[in-house]
Amino acid sequence: MITLGTALAFAGAAVAAGFAGVGSAVGVGIAGQAGAGVVSEDPDKFGNVLVLQALPGTQGIYGLLIAFIIVLNLGVIDGNVKDLTTFQGIALFCAGLPMAIGGLMSGIYQGKVAASGIYLCAKRPEETGKGIILAAMVETYAVLSLLISFIMVNGVKL
Amino acid sequence: MLIAMKKATLFALKEDRDAILLALQKDGNIMLISEGDKAQTLEGADKVGDRIAKAKDALKFVDLHGKKDSMFASRLPVSYDSFLHESQEGSDLADQIEALSGKIMSLRNEASTMTSQVDALQPWMDLDIPLEQLAPTDSSVYFAGYLPELEKEAFLEDIKELAVEPIVLREAPEGRAMLLFCLKDDAAQLKHFLKAHEFADVVFPKRTGLASEIATDLTEAARMKNSLADELEAEAKKIAESKAELQLYYDQLTAKEERLANGGVETEKTFYLEGWVRKDRTARVEKAIRSVTEAYQLEFNDPAEGEIPPTELENNSFISPYESVIELYSRPQAGSIDPDFLMAPFHFIFFGMMLSDAGYGLVLTIGLMIALKLVKPQGFGGKLAMVILFGSISTIIWGALFGGWFGLELHPLLFVPMKEPLKMLALCFGLGVLHLVCGMLLKAYMQIRDGDVFGAFCDEFSWLIMFAGFFCMAFMPGPVGKYLAIAGAAIIVLTGGREKKGIISKLLGGLLSLYNISGYMSDLLSYSRIFALGLATGVIAMVINTIAQMLIAAGPVGTVVAVLVLLGGHLFNIIINVLGAFVHSSRLQYIEFFGKFYEAGGKAFVPLAIRTKYMNVTK
Repeated sequence: MITLGTALAFAGAAVAAGFAGVGSAVGVGIAGQAGAGVVSEDPDKFGNVLVLQALPGTQGIYGLLIAFIIVLNLGVIDGNVKDLTTFQGIALFCAGLPMAIGGLMSGIYQGKVAASGIYLCAKRPEETGKGIILAAMVETYAVLSLLISFIMVNGVKL
Repeated sequence: MLIAMKKATLFALKEDRDAILLALQKDGNIMLISEGDKAQTLEGADKVGDRIAKAKDALKFVDLHGKKDSMFASRLPVSYDSFLHESQEGSDLADQIEALSGKIMSLRNEASTMTSQVDALQPWMDLDIPLEQLAPTDSSVYFAGYLPELEKEAFLEDIKELAVEPIVLREAPEGRAMLLFCLKDDAAQLKHFLKAHEFADVVFPKRTGLASEIATDLTEAARMKNSLADELEAEAKKIAESKAELQLYYDQLTAKEERLANGGVETEKTFYLEGWVRKDRTARVEKAIRSVTEAYQLEFNDPAEGEIPPTELENNSFISPYESVIELYSRPQAGSIDPDFLMAPFHFIFFGMMLSDAGYGLVLTIGLMIALKLVKPQGFGGKLAMVILFGSISTIIWGALFGGWFGLELHPLLFVPMKEPLKMLALCFGLGVLHLVCGMLLKAYMQIRDGDVFGAFCDEFSWLIMFAGFFCMAFMPGPVGKYLAIAGAAIIVLTGGREKKGIISKLLGGLLSLYNISGYMSDLLSYSRIFALGLATGVIAMVINTIAQMLIAAGPVGTVVAVLVLLGGHLFNIIINVLGAFVHSSRLQYIEFFGKFYEAGGKAFVPLAIRTKYMNVTK
């Protein structure tokens, strides 16, 4: 019998991994479309394009990270799922939210910046580094989301 | 360290010009200045450009048809003397390939036109009238074309009124193929009727015979052309084997193009050139010229007011790789400062903390050392690889301190960040403060060097005093900290608006500059990314290990899969996090550190030299 609290904690893990994953998927998708266009003109740029395309992929990883820690703390990995009070569950659900929202939006926008960076790399390959940095600026906010989500998850003592 | 530059001015005889430029290119120490339209390109420069384009196309063609170069292929050595002697074979090859690729292309084009004609004829296969006989006679006309399938029922019904019998043929993507005959007098009426039913006319290829015969002929002809093209491609493969000659030719041409690009300003007998030379290399430039002729005048001067020399960085071998991090951003302005010596240690530390897994660090260090032995990348790429190599050594250190070994926790020498996040955050912010203070001190140094001691005191030290106050407030008993902070803030408010006019706007400006504290706060918070990225590496490694553990529990097959998961997963984690660690530790330099003092926008020092893409010229 799973308590409401445990279920809410599961929901917290689910939104963190799910939404951040969607953000990354959309972002990597946008960048990938731009990248395929550039590679069709100049296959030698594949390496640079791949790096830029990979950048929006980190949100999904961060989301997985938060989900994994929640699930680990719940005891799902070693097989004894703990019974949480409702408020513990709500707290863990809320802890998952920053990563979910931050990951979703920053992933999409980072994808757009990465796509522009790929166009930059097509026109001026020597400036690819700047395109990477520009895309990494967006990632800051995914990193901040990750950090606060982690601190919140860590703060819920089970 | 920024290298000081001297401006060289050279007068010499025009007859020696080619030889002098050649010697200067071999020496590779002078960057010629081409000032607007005063300097001119030398004769033959356009022609070389055309030949380069041709050689480039040929190389592309060869790459497409020949076998690929191995990734670890090293450049072929060629002596300087034979490099000067332009490869006739390469030139011939370029011509040959141009002709060949043109031929192949036109053959393929013709074949594909024929194939599409055959496709267009498909619906007319059953027609038993030779195409050339489809023509209006004295009293009749014909219509051939396609009718949309949806219109067919209504069309066949309505056409009965017109006393015309359509010949209905096969279906095509455009609609049903049809042929209609009628008397000339009825033509207008039929045409109108056809238009109402969206009948689209067809144009037949200008050929004689039945549609089916023409199609067979065309298919055969297309096959012939294609097989001819195949033969030519096989020939191209053979030619592709002498690719090296073509590459040499290409390198020779690009070197020549660079040499011809700038001939200076000339009179009837003499010419005049300007260029930048490193202060410590002037003697070498002079020696290069003297080896050609005695008839010259050469002067080296310090850059005049308003002249901005190019930027060249030089550091010891531990720090110089980090010049690549600066190059990614923008070179410092001449006359400012090269921050490499301060940036390098911080980049080193941040990279290690972000990756923070000693196991990964070991794998990377060993892997990179082997790769560097094999490939020996030059220039920018080589420097970048060294930055990552240093970073991986730092990763081993930090991984051992934090007890991370391939995601497993093992004897942390310091503490485990996952378990004590606040301690880790404090460490990150502490390093951040140190980094930012270094940036501010550099700015202060630059201001003092330029004679603006007061500015350095008001804009940099005032903040440092205030921050020292905050620090004391947090960690020391007694009111010392409070007074220090207030003193710092007072200096900022009193002097922050000193460039404004009027006492009120001066005060307002001062208060506004106190608001900059939010900027410093956000700079500082940015350093929390070090922790977050370290977390990402560690937890993903844990996830991989957990999955592997579950698989091993599933039995022997699971164990095999688990090994694959461990290898693939950790490799993926290393790659994605090396990218993250590099990008983010660079970002901390660019935005937070450089933001405090850096003057970007320096132009690279690119001397006239032999720069090859494929060959290795030995002097």
